[in-house]
Amino acid sequence: MELLLTALIIAIILFGIGLYGALSQTNLVMIMMGVELMLGAAMINLVAFWRYLHPEAFSIKMFVLVAMTVMALEGAVGFAIATQRFRSSGSVEMEEAADLNG
Amino acid sequence: MMISVQLILLIILGLLSIWFGWRVFMTSSMVRSALSLLASMVAIGALFLVMEAEFLGVLQIMMMGTEMSIMAIFMMMYMMDPGGLGEMDMTHQKNLSIAAASIFSLIIAIVILAVGWGPLATEIPGPHEQNRLLGMEILKRSMMIFETAGITILTGMIAAITVALSIKNNRN
Repeated sequence: MELLLTALIIAIILFGIGLYGALSQTNLVMIMMGVELMLGAAMINLVAFWRYLHPEAFSIKMFVLVAMTVMALEGAVGFAIATQRFRSSGSVEMEEAADLNG
Repeated sequence: MMISVQLILLIILGLLSIWFGWRVFMTSSMVRSALSLLASMVAIGALFLVMEAEFLGVLQIMMMGTEMSIMAIFMMMYMMDPGGLGEMDMTHQKNLSIAAASIFSLIIAIVILAVGWGPLATEIPGPHEQNRLLGMEILKRSMMIFETAGITILTGMIAAITVALSIKNNRN
């Protein structure tokens, strides 16, 4: 049981660090890094559940592949938004993005 | 004996991933941030290898190696102080963020410790059999999900290019 709990606790701490980063950073790229850490924590959970609880359920591994896809897409679309934002306002600081309101 | 070795490796790699994850937000240098995130993701991939998910572990390390290298280039392009020499503070609502992260982590930890997880699986298929079974899963029961992931990637590519395109006609 300690193996599963160890993996889950590692994932909790990583998720917490990612959440802190996503909420506290003002830069778009740094916010994306926080989200990546949270997704990484979710993937640790999934692999731990597969390995220690249901090694016969390969749909869990499939779900990890989907999470990896989400990570890659988040990077691609996030950088596209950063590129456009940098082009229009010269900065990707989210505190300067108040003009996106309404 | 094998289980204790696995536990020790899990703890070491877990601590590494947490340490590098923490360093991402604790350094002023963007290059160090990107490399710390890369190290954290590689440690997560190594955790997958320790948990005997070899395919996913190798995939994670390869994907994240590429993604974080690209991320490092973008960070240097877009940050006002990529080297961190000016010691700029790029945070806001710090106390609120720490409180939110702590409370969420605590709630999840309580749930994890309170739940009865049942007996742990000791025997799992070997790497070759795992890959075969994952392939069968992808081509049978989860085929629609896999196809959806493919279409989502295509949509994401189109969306990324469309958003990043320069809108010259509307600029004036």
